[in-house]
Amino acid sequence: MSVKKIEPFSHFRLTETDKKRNKPFLTKAAQLSAQTTTHRAQERLHFSKPCAEETKVWHVTSELHVGGVIVKLVEKTQIKRDWSDHAVWWEQKQQWLLRTSWTLEKYGIHADARLVFMPQHKPLKLGLPNGITLRLHACFSGPVFRTVMGICRMLNIRHPEELSLLRPLEEKKKKKKDSAEEIYDLTEVPLSSVSRPCLYNGMPAHFADSPQMEAIYKMLSVTQPPPAPEVIAKQYRPASVVDKAHINGRWLDSSRSLMQQGVQQNDRLWLRFKYYAFYDIEPKYDAVRLTQLYEQARWAILLEDIDCTEEEMMLFGALQYHISKVSQSEPQLMSSSTAMDDLDSALQSLEVKMEGEGSSASELLENMTAPELNDYLKIFRPKRLTLKGYKQYWCKFQDTSIAYFKSKEESIGEPIQQIHLKGCEVAPDVNMAAHRFLIRLLIPAPEGMNEVYLRCENEQQYAQWMAACRLASKGKSLADSSFQSEIQSIHTFLAMQKTNTGSHGNVPASDESINTHSLVSPRYHKKYKAKQLTPRILDAYQNVAQLSLTDAVTRFLQIWQALPDFGLSYVVVRFKGSRKDEVLGIAPNRLIRIDLGVGDVVKTWRYNNMKQWNVNWDIRQMAIEFEGNVNIAFSCVTADCKIVHEFIGGYIFMSTRSRQKSDTLNEELFHKLTGGHEAL
Amino acid sequence: MDLLTQSLEQDTAPPVSLPPPTNTEANFSFGFTDLNESLHELEDNDLDALMADLVADLDATEKKLAADIEGLKVPSPPPPPKGESLLPSSPLDYSASPASSTSSSVCTPSSSAASPLPPPPPQSTKPTKEEIEAQMKADKIKLALEKLKEAKVKKLVVKVLMNDGSSKTLMVDERQNVREVLDNLFEKTHCDCNVDWSLCETNPELQLERTFEDHENLVEPLLAWTRDTENKILFKECGQKYAVFKNPQNFYLWKKDKKTLKDMKDKDKEILIEENFCGTSIIVPDLEAVLHLKEDGKKSWKQRLFQLRASGIYYVPKGKTKSSRDLVCFLQFDNVNVYYAKDFRSKHKAPTDFCFVLKHPQIQKDSQYIKYLCCDDAWTMNLWVTGIRIAKYGASLYKNFKTAEKKAVVNSAWTNRSVTSSSSESTPSPTIKAKANGHAPKPQPEPVFKDVGTCPPPPPPPPSPPLTGILPPPPSDPAFPPPPPPLAAKSSSKAAARQQHLSTNFPPPPPAMDLPPPPPPPPMDESSDTPPDFLPPPPPAMGSLPPPPPSLLSANSLPPPPPPCFKGVGQSLPPPPPDPGFLPPLPPPESVFVATGAPPPPPPPPPPPAAAARAPAPRAPVRASGSVKKMPPMPPKRTTPSLRGGGGGGGGDGDLMSELMVAMMKKRSNP
Repeated sequence: MSVKKIEPFSHFRLTETDKKRNKPFLTKAAQLSAQTTTHRAQERLHFSKPCAEETKVWHVTSELHVGGVIVKLVEKTQIKRDWSDHAVWWEQKQQWLLRTSWTLEKYGIHADARLVFMPQHKPLKLGLPNGITLRLHACFSGPVFRTVMGICRMLNIRHPEELSLLRPLEEKKKKKKDSAEEIYDLTEVPLSSVSRPCLYNGMPAHFADSPQMEAIYKMLSVTQPPPAPEVIAKQYRPASVVDKAHINGRWLDSSRSLMQQGVQQNDRLWLRFKYYAFYDIEPKYDAVRLTQLYEQARWAILLEDIDCTEEEMMLFGALQYHISKVSQSEPQLMSSSTAMDDLDSALQSLEVKMEGEGSSASELLENMTAPELNDYLKIFRPKRLTLKGYKQYWCKFQDTSIAYFKSKEESIGEPIQQIHLKGCEVAPDVNMAAHRFLIRLLIPAPEGMNEVYLRCENEQQYAQWMAACRLASKGKSLADSSFQSEIQSIHTFLAMQKTNTGSHGNVPASDESINTHSLVSPRYHKKYKAKQLTPRILDAYQNVAQLSLTDAVTRFLQIWQALPDFGLSYVVVRFKGSRKDEVLGIAPNRLIRIDLGVGDVVKTWRYNNMKQWNVNWDIRQMAIEFEGNVNIAFSCVTADCKIVHEFIGGYIFMSTRSRQKSDTLNEELFHKLTGGHEAL
Repeated sequence: MDLLTQSLEQDTAPPVSLPPPTNTEANFSFGFTDLNESLHELEDNDLDALMADLVADLDATEKKLAADIEGLKVPSPPPPPKGESLLPSSPLDYSASPASSTSSSVCTPSSSAASPLPPPPPQSTKPTKEEIEAQMKADKIKLALEKLKEAKVKKLVVKVLMNDGSSKTLMVDERQNVREVLDNLFEKTHCDCNVDWSLCETNPELQLERTFEDHENLVEPLLAWTRDTENKILFKECGQKYAVFKNPQNFYLWKKDKKTLKDMKDKDKEILIEENFCGTSIIVPDLEAVLHLKEDGKKSWKQRLFQLRASGIYYVPKGKTKSSRDLVCFLQFDNVNVYYAKDFRSKHKAPTDFCFVLKHPQIQKDSQYIKYLCCDDAWTMNLWVTGIRIAKYGASLYKNFKTAEKKAVVNSAWTNRSVTSSSSESTPSPTIKAKANGHAPKPQPEPVFKDVGTCPPPPPPPPSPPLTGILPPPPSDPAFPPPPPPLAAKSSSKAAARQQHLSTNFPPPPPAMDLPPPPPPPPMDESSDTPPDFLPPPPPAMGSLPPPPPSLLSANSLPPPPPPCFKGVGQSLPPPPPDPGFLPPLPPPESVFVATGAPPPPPPPPPPPAAAARAPAPRAPVRASGSVKKMPPMPPKRTTPSLRGGGGGGGGDGDLMSELMVAMMKKRSNP
């Protein structure tokens, strides 16, 4: 129907002369609508053809095969162009006639059929996990599973079986914003080039064509900067398990085509990782995949799609900060070509070698002249029950310990005390406005932990000593290469605090300062002011500050995957014999039954105990049998049972991947495990 | 800091000035002053162990030197055929490499030999003498520098309590991890090497006990002990150590009923392990329980609902839901270790005796910074302690298990024959006292020197001393176990067995086993019981040259010369459990004998490689003459050998062994 809007079509009348051969031979796809077909003596086919101006009615015999019809059609139009992507769509039956050798009769086409001759690939607006929208040609004729494979091939994402397409949430009153939204256009990519992805400069050749295309690839493979806090706040956030369950009702059916599911060209769909079983992630080849996975995880956390604790949120925040910082400074890392990788590793190993060679003599020397910090600092030991308060000492930071003396002059002799920082806890206590630069040390000793506070005079001093303490607590000395970068990151966070003190919230994110509200979910926007958040994130940041971009992304994903609720897709179901709705959680390795009232997990079933599962398509009920004579059955409330069936079958498919090492995707097996009754 | 730690710096320093082998004697005086004191402190058995270490080092160095010399002296004509010219260098690497594999810097000799600098002199292109000398010089400088570096490495002499009440003393180097120390102990004891064997740390004052993880370095936690500590290190079987890999369902499916857990199929267990330990992320068991918490500094225990997550332990605050966002972080694992507590019911008035504790490893006394938790039953306690370990150590835990398992399998091959291993009682006897106090590390190196000094030809010992400390226990790699000191002892005992088998080409493990079975548990070290052999206890032997003569005699007489010496040495040392290892070497012995007859040109034994190896060996003996011990180091292979024997591919080992034997013979004859 919507096709009409796009272009006028012409109708062709086909007349079937041979009425005898009217035994309908149904294709799989035709099954559903088969009953509605009636036999008539005269059948006409209405053809619409994108490029033609009119609708024509054609007379053909039912013995003509589809290919023949197309040839005739093309001849008659007398338009010269590449018709190879065109195919015939049977509108009433919502079915593609893709088998060109089949006769019309075999397809069961009668005179009243209305056929549309149109391209199989049509433009589609695709929302990526990173929030960017792409416009590209997707296959509207194959099963969605294959469509996703095509999209992933174009975007250079490996293991497309883990992704699928999701109908977006209805956007309310956001229309104006939509128009302003930037859309990256990939519709110019010739379909043929996508079929054989050859890497050029680390990216598929079709991305190397022009600067614009390269920019798109960069968008795909480099993480986006942290979103403004308002953007996070405006996004839809599922408030409950039931809300999350509703989202899962939007997955498209993998075994049917986009056209069959009512998707029209230029419609908007989301590409998302659907199965949380990520197989064989290899940063070298998976730049886009890893980035998009990270983006999906990041948004899941920012929007509280998955729950985490405050400490975990701070760590996620710190990682996001680090990732955005590093990806700005070295945007090539993720997308670097393999050649570059090799060069890098070669250089690295060279470095190591040189280090190794020179280690004996030069290292000794180096240690002898190890850098140290010397300065007057104020020291306070709260546990000593003295009223003295802060007292100034001449402090000398060497290796991993601080020695302090009464004065600079006495620093040649024995120190008053030496504090070994290895294994200690370091906490900042900084207030820029109040000009307070305090380092709180908790130093382990056989008797317990000793508290020591160091008070610095200014930002510069603080950054140095703080960095030194941090390194020392991890057993690294000032000579460690990370010392300077540690100082730098402390400065950065101090700067963030400075800006945050002025205006709360709406500071534009420049590279030097990021609003820390951009790094955490809205819950914490209310709980903490940005400047309160900053030190907490900084605290978590010190543990990740040295990670490379890839490592940081990987760490983020690991922590995400270690969350207890990771990988759960929820569906509201009604168990057989139960009177209330409950939630079924579908995870990569198990099913869980959740009591809606309490939120507790009532029961867990693991797939490896599963003997079989059945779908009763008539009553839309799933029945699963586990070992030990455990049988469960339920009907699905918030999603079609095909979706649940596909989730379970899909996960079982995912678990088979490790066994067959071949790179080719076993599409047939996937459909066997997830297909509907047509497949069975 | 503690008595335990002492650096061997003095020893190391000398090597720098290393003069050619002949001059080496000058160096011996090193560190002697300390030696005497420390010697007094040391028990005999300690000394033995240390000596073994030292000797192993020495041996490696000597061989290397020997090779060098050989290259010099015998450019073209020497006994070994030209074709085998490479041999000298290669055998050296061989022997040395095992040791080096454990810790890179450890065996300097090996590394240097392998390194480009000292290319095998004998190569077809005969290098000029000058070149060779230059190389040697460069080599030595390098060696010396590395020694210097080594000197900074901390070493401890550690006393480990066995569960039969005895103890063993060994030197542990900063870089050694617990796995290596365990392997070392496997060599010294007769245990079955199963995966449960662990090193545990006890703290009697706090009534705590913890199993060291295999990947941890042992020295570091020991340094945290106080000077007057009562803490001990136990060597015992801890079933809980790897329980999670044996029955993962008990931890990951703990909510299921006990029967399901018990009936779990092996395949399902494997799947569980794979899911939780082999994915991109390690999954921590989802634990939730009401535990009793001892409030900071208070005497009362309070109940809270705790949850374990990968990021730490949390509790549900009063009146809040269990949702993640409401959880309060109780503790994160970065800076704490988890300990089992003993008898807290009386000590802390805990509700039950199933308590565990989280504390910073440095804390040794009661403190408000220690977190005390109490569970309702032992099952819960094990769940939590294991869960916390998984959260803290992650993938390392699984890697450790895999390594331990490999080790166990290797050993089980022959353990079956030898019947049950001696000390494998599963009951851990915490009561056994083991003091970790060490003596100054210096003593070990010194003894070696002494020997050298007494003996006429003290070649390159100086460089070696530092090495001794380094010697890490044989790593897991079965193919070539480095020559760990402990082995030495065993080898001696087996010597007898060996002789018998000499004729047979293949190594018949079983017979060998039978012959040598020394009492497994009783640590030989401890009891310096005089060996049956005529030889005096090892330490004295060293001082008094007695051993050499007998050996010489025997050597001349052909067949069993070397063994006697070994025996003497071995006796003093630990029991020789790993007989199987010996078997493979059998072939070499034969060659050895031959060699003895005609020292210079060793007849080409059946295995070509062996022949090659021999060439260099002859030289070595000369230098080594002084120390009987040298032989012992070789034995280390035994552990692994069992496998080898089965596989039939013992060529490499054979070479080594033959080489050794030859060297021994040489030594004997030379004096």
